[in-house]
Amino acid sequence: MNIVKPSRKEGTKKTFDYFSINCVLIFLVAAVSTLLFVASTLTGSDGNVIGSGSIQTTIGYILKLKPLPLFIIMFPLIGGPLEALIGRKSENLRDSTVVDTTFITFIAILAMYPQVSRGTMNYFIPGVFGHGLSFRVDMLSFIMAATSGVLWLMVTIYAHDYMGIEEHRNRFYLWMSVTYGGVLGTVLAGDMLTMFLFFEIMTFSSYMLVAHNQSKESILAGNNYLYMGIAGGLSLLLGIMLLYAYTGTLNFVPLASQLAELGWRKYLITGLFVLGFGVKAGMLPLHIWLPKAHPVAPTPASALLSGILIKVGAYGMLRVAVSFFVPAANEIVSFGDSLWVVSERLGAIIIWTGVITMAIGVFMALQQSNMKKMLAYHSISQMGYIIMGIGVASYLGYNGAMGFSGSIYHIVNHALFKALLFMVVGLVYLRTKELDMYKLGGMWKKMPFTAFVCVIAILGITGMPGFNGFASKSILHHAIIEAYEYGHPSFKYAEFIFTLVSAGTVCSFIKLFKYVFCGACPEKYKNIDGEKGMMDLAMGGLALMIIAIGQAPNYLLNQFIIPATEGLTFDPAFINEYLVSMDFFNAKDVLGMLWIYLIGIGIFILGTKFDLFHLHLPRWFNIETAFYKPMARGVIMFSNNITKHYEIAIIKSDIIIYTCVLTGIIFLLMKFV
Amino acid sequence: MKRPLNSMQFPLYVLLLLLMGSVIIPLTTEKFNMKAKTVILGTLVLSWGMMLSTFINVLREGPYLYNIGNWGPKIGIQFNIDIFSTSMSLFILSLSILVIIYSLKDIEHEIYFKQISVYYSLVLLLILGMVGITVTNDLFNTYVFMEILAITSCAIISIKRKKENYMASFRYLILNTLGSLSFLFGVALLYMVTGYLNMSEIYIRINQVWELYPTNLLLALGLMLTGLGIKAAVFPLHVWLPDAHSTAPTPSSALLSGLVVKVYIFTAMKLLFRVIGLEIIDTINIPSFITYFAVVGMIMGSVFAIGQRDIKRLLAYSSVAQIGYIFLGVGLATELGLSAGLFHVVSHGFMKSLLFLSAGAIIYKTGKRDIRTFKGIGYQMPLTMILFTVGALGMIGIPGLNGFMSKWYLGFAVLEKGQPIYLIVILLSSFLNAIYYLPIIISAFLTEGEERNIMVLEDIPKTMSIPMVLIASFCIITGFFPQIVMDVVSRAIPTFL
Repeated sequence: MNIVKPSRKEGTKKTFDYFSINCVLIFLVAAVSTLLFVASTLTGSDGNVIGSGSIQTTIGYILKLKPLPLFIIMFPLIGGPLEALIGRKSENLRDSTVVDTTFITFIAILAMYPQVSRGTMNYFIPGVFGHGLSFRVDMLSFIMAATSGVLWLMVTIYAHDYMGIEEHRNRFYLWMSVTYGGVLGTVLAGDMLTMFLFFEIMTFSSYMLVAHNQSKESILAGNNYLYMGIAGGLSLLLGIMLLYAYTGTLNFVPLASQLAELGWRKYLITGLFVLGFGVKAGMLPLHIWLPKAHPVAPTPASALLSGILIKVGAYGMLRVAVSFFVPAANEIVSFGDSLWVVSERLGAIIIWTGVITMAIGVFMALQQSNMKKMLAYHSISQMGYIIMGIGVASYLGYNGAMGFSGSIYHIVNHALFKALLFMVVGLVYLRTKELDMYKLGGMWKKMPFTAFVCVIAILGITGMPGFNGFASKSILHHAIIEAYEYGHPSFKYAEFIFTLVSAGTVCSFIKLFKYVFCGACPEKYKNIDGEKGMMDLAMGGLALMIIAIGQAPNYLLNQFIIPATEGLTFDPAFINEYLVSMDFFNAKDVLGMLWIYLIGIGIFILGTKFDLFHLHLPRWFNIETAFYKPMARGVIMFSNNITKHYEIAIIKSDIIIYTCVLTGIIFLLMKFV
Repeated sequence: MKRPLNSMQFPLYVLLLLLMGSVIIPLTTEKFNMKAKTVILGTLVLSWGMMLSTFINVLREGPYLYNIGNWGPKIGIQFNIDIFSTSMSLFILSLSILVIIYSLKDIEHEIYFKQISVYYSLVLLLILGMVGITVTNDLFNTYVFMEILAITSCAIISIKRKKENYMASFRYLILNTLGSLSFLFGVALLYMVTGYLNMSEIYIRINQVWELYPTNLLLALGLMLTGLGIKAAVFPLHVWLPDAHSTAPTPSSALLSGLVVKVYIFTAMKLLFRVIGLEIIDTINIPSFITYFAVVGMIMGSVFAIGQRDIKRLLAYSSVAQIGYIFLGVGLATELGLSAGLFHVVSHGFMKSLLFLSAGAIIYKTGKRDIRTFKGIGYQMPLTMILFTVGALGMIGIPGLNGFMSKWYLGFAVLEKGQPIYLIVILLSSFLNAIYYLPIIISAFLTEGEERNIMVLEDIPKTMSIPMVLIASFCIITGFFPQIVMDVVSRAIPTFL
C-alpha cells in the first residue's frame, strides 16, 4: 500500500556532498551574523563590530544604501528563474544556489537595521503604475522581513532533502523564490498600490506551490486557494480604489479625520480591507482554503504558507488598522476621542472574529487525524490569537499598544514554531509516507532529534514559560484583559474562550506527540531510516531561535516591537508603563499557564475516554458545503445552463433582437421630443 | 504653418499605399512567395513610418484638417488629423504588422494556397478601412469605409471554405449590412436637416437643429447608435460575433477582435461627442443608456464565455465582455472615462490579439480547439502557453499587466462620476474572467496529458513566436508604465469634450 517512490537520494549513499558543506557553512555564517546583529542592536554600534579599513567602509556603504529594499525584493525575483535554469544542469548546484541567494537576501534584510532604527526608510521609484512604486521600511516591516528571512533560509536548507520525493523541482524552486519576492515586497511596500502588486504576485506564485503535487486533491485545494485569493485581492482592490478616490492618498498615513466625513462608506472600506486580508490570514469564515491547501502542499511550502504567507494577511490587516483608521497623533488628546469611533467599532468586530476563529480552529484541530491538517487548523487557531491582538490594538486605539505588540510578537513566534512543526511532520512523512497520526507510533527511537525539537516546538506553541510562545501569549492575554477593563465588559467571555483555546491547544499537541512519537512502533516502520542531516540542521536552527526568544523575551520586545509603535498613534505613557521592562515571568502568568496545562491534560484524558476526537460533524456545520460549494456550483451551472439553452436561440433571433433594440431605443429617445 | 506640404498629405498617402498594395499583390504573383511577402510588409512598414511621422508632427505642431483635393468641406472629404486619429491609426498599423508577420506562416495551413495572395489583398483593404474610418471627418465617408470593412471582414472569414464559415460570414454580412444601412439612414436624416456631411460643420449647426427638428435628430441618433452597436458587438447585438470570430482563420480573428470592433467604437465616440456634442446627448441621457448596455454586456459576455468549450469561441465571448468595459468608459462621458475607455481599447487590442494568436499557435501545432483537451499542453508548447497566460492574466487584471491599469483607470473614472456600483460590476466581471481563463492555464501546466509531461523546447516557427513575444512584452511594459499610452490618450481626449 505504501509504495515508496524511488527517490534521487536513496540510490546514492553519499549523503555528505558539497550541498551539505555549503549548508553548514551558510548556517554557521548566518548564526554568527545573527549573533553579531543581536550584539550590535544591544550596543547600538550600527554594525561596525567587525572588520577594519576597506571592509568597514564597504559595510558602512552597504548599511547606508538607499535602494536596499528594492535590492532585497529583486534578488529573489531574479534569482528564481536563474535557479530553475541552473537546475537543468545540476540539482545540487541549484539547491546550493537557492540557499545562497536566500542567505544573501537575509543578510541584506539585516543590513537595513541601522537605517530603520534611525527612522523610517523611504525609497521611491517614480513612474511605475503612473503613481510610482514606493517602499517604506519601518520597524514593523523590518520585523516581518527579518522573520521571513530566517524562515526562508531554514526552509531552503530543509527543502533540498525533502523535495527528493517530489517532481518538477525546478518549478518548485522558481515559484518559491518568486513567492519570497512577493512576501518581501508586500511587507516592505510603502503604499497600498505597491503592496497590492506584491500581494497578488504572492497569491499567484504561492498557488503554484500549493498545487505543486498535481494530484487531484492538490489541484482542487489549489483552485480553492486561488479563487479565494483572487476574490480577496479584488475586494482589497475595491477598498484601495475607494480609499484613494475619497481621500486622495495611498500612503500609510492616519486618515481618521478625513474618513469621519464619509458616512457609511468608511465602514464599506474597512470591511473590504478586512475581507481582503482576512482571506489570506485564514480568518473565519474565509478560512476554508487553508485546511485544504496546507496538507497537500509539499512540506517546505506548508511550512512557508503557515509560517509567513498567512501572516502577511495579518500584517496587512494590522498595517491598515493602525494606519488608516486611526487619527494622527497631533489630532487627539486622549483615549476617549470621538475620532476613534471607526477604529473602535472595527476593533470590536475583529476581536470577536479572532476569538471565534481561534475557538473553531482548535476545535477542528482536535478532530483531525491527518497531522498536516491538524497543524493547518492550529494555524487558523493561532491566527485567531493574532487577529484578536489586532482587534484589541484597534479597539483600544490610543491604549492599544498591548494588542499591537502581542500580535506582532505572536506573528514572529508562530512563524518559528509552526514552521518547525511542519518540518517535523514532513520528516516523519518522508520516512514513513504516512500522515495519519493514529497509524504511527514510537518514532522517537528512529528519530530522537526530531522528537526533541518537536517537544521544543510543542512547548513553544502551548506557551510553556521559557519558550517563545509564552511571551506572546502573555502579552495577548494582558491585551484581552485590558479590552474588558478599558472597554466593554463582554470581552470577559473572550478572555474565557482564550484560556479554553490555550488548553485545547495543549491537549491537541499532547495527542500529536503521543500518537506519533510515543508508544510502540508499527511493524512496517521497523526498518525505516532515521534522521536526515540537513533537515535536522534546519529544524535545530528554528528550535534554537524558539529557546533563545523564550529565554530573553524582553529583547525582542524592547529592541524591535516597542520601536515599531513609535511612528503610530499610541500613548507613549502607556507603553512606558506597561510594556517597557515588562516582567514576563511573574507568578500570576506562570501559574495561569500551569492551569492551562492542567485543563489541557484533563481534556485529553476525557477526550480519549469518551472518544471525543472523532466526532462526525453535521453537514451544515461545514461552511464549505453549506455556503461556498453551492455558490460556486451555482455560478457554473447558471453559466452552463444559459449557454446551453439560450446561446443558439439568441444567435438565431438576431434580426428580432436588432428590431427590438432599435425600436426600444427610438421609443425611449422619442419621449424627449 | 511650418509644416512641409508633403508631410501633410501623409495620411492620404497611407490610404493610397494600402490600396495600391492590395491591388498589386494578386497581380504580381500567382504563388505566394518571397516577393509577395516583401510587398505586403513593405507596404505596411512604409505606411507605419508615414503615420509615425504624421503623429510626431501632430504632437509638435498641433492638429490640422486636411481637405482631399482642396475641395471645401461642403462637398469634399475632410480628414481630421489630430492626436486621437494619428495615435489610433498608429496603434492599428502596429498591431496589424505584428499580426501579419505571424500570419505569414500560419495562413498557409489554414486556407487554400491559391487564395493566400487574395487574402492579403483583402487584409490590406481591411487595414485601409480601419485607418480611413479613424482619420476621416466626414459622415458619408465613414459609411464608405464601414462598407469596405464589412465586405473585407466577411471575405476574410469566409475564405476558409468551410460550411460553418459560410454560415458565420453570411450572418455577419446580413447583420453588418443592417448596421451600415441604419447608419446611412441616420446620416441621411442628419444631412436633411443640416445640409452638411462634415462632422465639424454639423456640430456648428446642431444646436439650432435640436431646437427645430428634434425628431429628426433623435431618429438619426437612435439608428446610428444601433447600427454602430451591431458593428461594435454591444451585448444584445453581439450575435454575429462568436461565430464569426471563432471560425475565421486565426490572423483574421486577431484583427477582427483586436481592431475592427474598436474602430466602430471610435466612430461612436466621434458621433456622440464631435457631431452631436456633449450638451445635447446629456439632455437626452444617451450616456446612461450606453452604460446600462455596457454593464449588462460585461457580465453576460463573461457568463456566456464560462459555458464555452471551444477556445476561440471563449475568446470571442470574452471580447463581448471587454467591449462592455470600453463602452462603460465612453458612457461616463467624462475626461477620465473616455481616456480609460481608449486605454482599454489599446490594451484589449494587444491582449486579445495575443490570446487569439497563441490559441492559433496551439491549433497550428496540435489541432486542439476544445479546452478540455488542453491537459499538459504547457509542456508541449511552453512559450505559447506562457504568452497565453500573460494575456489571460491581463484580462483578469493582475497588477503588472496592462489589463490591470485599464481597470484601475476605469475604476477611478466610475468613482469620479459617483457610481461605485459600476466599480463592483467591473470587479465582479474580473472575477468571472478568472473563472474561465484560469482553468485553461491550470490544465495546461498542472495536469498530466496523455504523454508524460516533459518540457520540450518550443517548435512553432520563429515568425509566429516573435510577434507574440513582442505583443506580450508590450502588455507587460504598459502594465508597469501605463503613462506611455495614457499620456497620449489623455492628450487626445480633450478634442472630444
